[in-house]
Amino acid sequence: MQGIETIIVQLLVSVFSPEQINAFLGDPRTVAVIVGSMVAASGALLGTFLLLRRMSLTTDAISHTILLGIVASFLFMVFVLGVEPDLSSPLLVIGAALAGVATVLLTEAIQRSGLVKADAALGLAFPLLFSIGVLLIARFTSNIHLDADSVMVGEIGLAWTNANSYCLERCDPVVITPDDPRAETSRICTNCERDAISPRSSQAVFETACANCGTYSAAEAWRLRLIPEAPVLVYFPRAIGVMSVITLINLLFVGLFYKELKLSTFDQGLARSLGFRPGWLHYGLMILVSIAAVGAFDAVGSILVVAFFVIPAAAAYLLTDRLAPMLALAILIGVVGAYSGYDLARGTLFGIIQISDVLVLLDRVIGLGGQTTWDSSISASMVLTTFMLFVLAWVFSPRYGLIANFARRRWQRQEFAHQVLLAHLYNHGDQPEERAEASLHEHFRWSRERMRWVLSGVRAQQWVAVEGGLVTLTERGAHEVLDFRKTNLQVQ
Amino acid sequence: MGAHRFSDEITTSLQRVAFEKSVSWVVAGAILLIVAVPLFSIEWTHTLRTVVLGGAVLGVVCGALGSFAVLRQQSLLGDALAHTALPGIAIAFLVSGRSLPALLLGAGVAGWIGVLLIRALTTTTRLKQDSAMAIVLSSFFALGLALLAYIQGRGDASQAGLKSFIFGQAAAIVERDVVVLALVGGAVLLVMIAFWKEFKLITFDPEFAHTVVLRARAIDLVLSLLIVIAIVLGLQLAGVVLMVGMLIAPAVAARQFTSRMEPMVLLAAALGGLAGGGGAFVSGLDAGLPTGPLIVVAAVSLAFVALAVAPGRGVIWTWLAERRDRRNFAAQNVLSDLYRHCLSHDDPMQITDESMLVNLRGDAARIALRQLQREGLVHGDGRLWRLTNAGVDAARRLEM
Repeated sequence: MQGIETIIVQLLVSVFSPEQINAFLGDPRTVAVIVGSMVAASGALLGTFLLLRRMSLTTDAISHTILLGIVASFLFMVFVLGVEPDLSSPLLVIGAALAGVATVLLTEAIQRSGLVKADAALGLAFPLLFSIGVLLIARFTSNIHLDADSVMVGEIGLAWTNANSYCLERCDPVVITPDDPRAETSRICTNCERDAISPRSSQAVFETACANCGTYSAAEAWRLRLIPEAPVLVYFPRAIGVMSVITLINLLFVGLFYKELKLSTFDQGLARSLGFRPGWLHYGLMILVSIAAVGAFDAVGSILVVAFFVIPAAAAYLLTDRLAPMLALAILIGVVGAYSGYDLARGTLFGIIQISDVLVLLDRVIGLGGQTTWDSSISASMVLTTFMLFVLAWVFSPRYGLIANFARRRWQRQEFAHQVLLAHLYNHGDQPEERAEASLHEHFRWSRERMRWVLSGVRAQQWVAVEGGLVTLTERGAHEVLDFRKTNLQVQ
Repeated sequence: MGAHRFSDEITTSLQRVAFEKSVSWVVAGAILLIVAVPLFSIEWTHTLRTVVLGGAVLGVVCGALGSFAVLRQQSLLGDALAHTALPGIAIAFLVSGRSLPALLLGAGVAGWIGVLLIRALTTTTRLKQDSAMAIVLSSFFALGLALLAYIQGRGDASQAGLKSFIFGQAAAIVERDVVVLALVGGAVLLVMIAFWKEFKLITFDPEFAHTVVLRARAIDLVLSLLIVIAIVLGLQLAGVVLMVGMLIAPAVAARQFTSRMEPMVLLAAALGGLAGGGGAFVSGLDAGLPTGPLIVVAAVSLAFVALAVAPGRGVIWTWLAERRDRRNFAAQNVLSDLYRHCLSHDDPMQITDESMLVNLRGDAARIALRQLQREGLVHGDGRLWRLTNAGVDAARRLEM
């Protein structure tokens, strides 16, 4: 993880000046958007396959239960290894991956017993594991940085504060020895406490001690003003490093196993008979979901994670029928959602609507207690904007959208009515009483309005002519009827 | 003769049903007594009594209605519903402050909107039920969290109780709340009893219900509404995140012990009361522990115990039965092996070497011989065996 970070930093340094980098990566908004985008991108990559495999709710369950894995690794670090716990430790990732796989195995075991239906099996497994996680947090981690709030929404807004520093110039570590002019020495009585005598007493023995001797990194030395000139430092937020690694792993997985994933997703039986191992891919996918969820945990909490997996993929699913474009669209939607989500949390929706204006209005109508500033959870807002993008796709998708569906259905109804009318006129060409304009609607049990609408449609096509209260098929209309029969009814 | 036996069978099966019903009443009553008796012990503080009573009432309602959710395979819809209730709670708080009926109403309306949205997504797009639920659940929950963050920004003191809806906090239940919960919960149970026959029909055979009942759609709606109300009531205790465990675990546990509707609902209600009261009790003693997870751990553990030990269908029972069958089968095989050996020598008292049987049937033959010896069908010293007279008869019957 450190290695990847160093590579990124060196790349950045070779292009930009340290001041530019620090200004860029020291901005809460930039860091939050970058981290959010990477969470959304890795979520979208895996989520596409999960959606197609109908495992959306398994993702939900895993994103809950990784909490248990995280807490267990936390406690393991504190009580067994006795080290300072750290949210970016690889142990955490291992714990979470184990918890994720344990959820899937537990659910499958309950299901295999045949005593419980699939939905109830999931509904038993993940609440249990999640509950144990929450209880462990409540009981053991009061002094550790891990609380119910960060479980729910994460701390993406503070991601920029938790950074590793990289030194570029004047980086030599500073060593302070007792004879260094910067050393702060003092005389300490070595036997005063033991023998309970006053330091003024003649028996007191003194020793010279150095209060600040030791080795300091350049950054520490500058902070303590031990060196006159500031070293050139670059700060790199840890969350970006962690999420880059996770995104990279996911990209590699999907890139390397694209063919296998595609085949096993759409035709598991064929995949198995061709000698692939769908089971391995299944658990590999579950492990990656757990890892992505644990990376995202720090940023967006454990309950909202599922949104980053499912919603972009679902929106893309409504827009395309092909796998590769679906992956690309899902990533794009996720990233745009993360980008506009930060602004929504700070009070602007898609750069158009100011939330505070809406709040002023609402305050006047229902009374909100006069609070008209909107400063909300960033991760929740990212989910909301992504959901709005999904709704846009739902309404406007050219092929599967609500509007397209409505228009298609209306067109089909109209088309059907036209053909019914034409067929009627064709069959009753020699019976004028069947073709009287005034009573024509009765033959179809249509309302007069509908009759008028249909008639105006077919007249516009010049399929019929109305003369003296009689509706007559034109030559063009007769041709159309025969044409329709030939293509649709297979009448010779 | 045949007709006679058939009517006998009906009588015994009716007797068994009646027996199962009365047993379930007794068991449910006993479980609820376990919860109720400590309520009247003197050492308990007033607060603790209130909290445990609230927990038990909610547990009973959720357990009873949860049975229908489980049987209709709508367990996860319950999960989605609980999550979608959160923004409703927040909006109700913004509009009317912290009054329990308003919050419950808000939760119910939001949950209902969530269900309609899930239905709209599955009917108008090609998304499947699970994706639709995940989408609606997570975005409604996000809206709820965003609104909660906004409410927190107002910094007024009364919002303190709102966060307890996420993981549940029994300590937030006060006496007046218990009255409201008991009244609404009682009404829900009464409606359930009134429509008992219809609910049963629509749960087990919806198609048939739609053909014979005039207003099947309305009854379906009423049942869904009752489940929504049960979930909304339970939110205070179990929290939106874990509500699904509270709803279905007692029902899953009860289902393992009986295959009939009435005993199942009774038992689920009692187990729900036990888990609810117990969880509330522990969290009432120690405010640092959120109630929801405690209740869910209790309820799901009950369910797992039931899955393991339930007579007739539990995992352990099935395993034992399979082992018994396997051994009986092996014993029969060994018995007929011995018999054939006798036939081939034309001597019913022919002695057979154990190693020969082990070669033929594997190590299972040793266990089978010991079993046959216990049943008095073979006689031997652990190395050489022969059939007893009873053994010859039994083997002859087998070979027929």
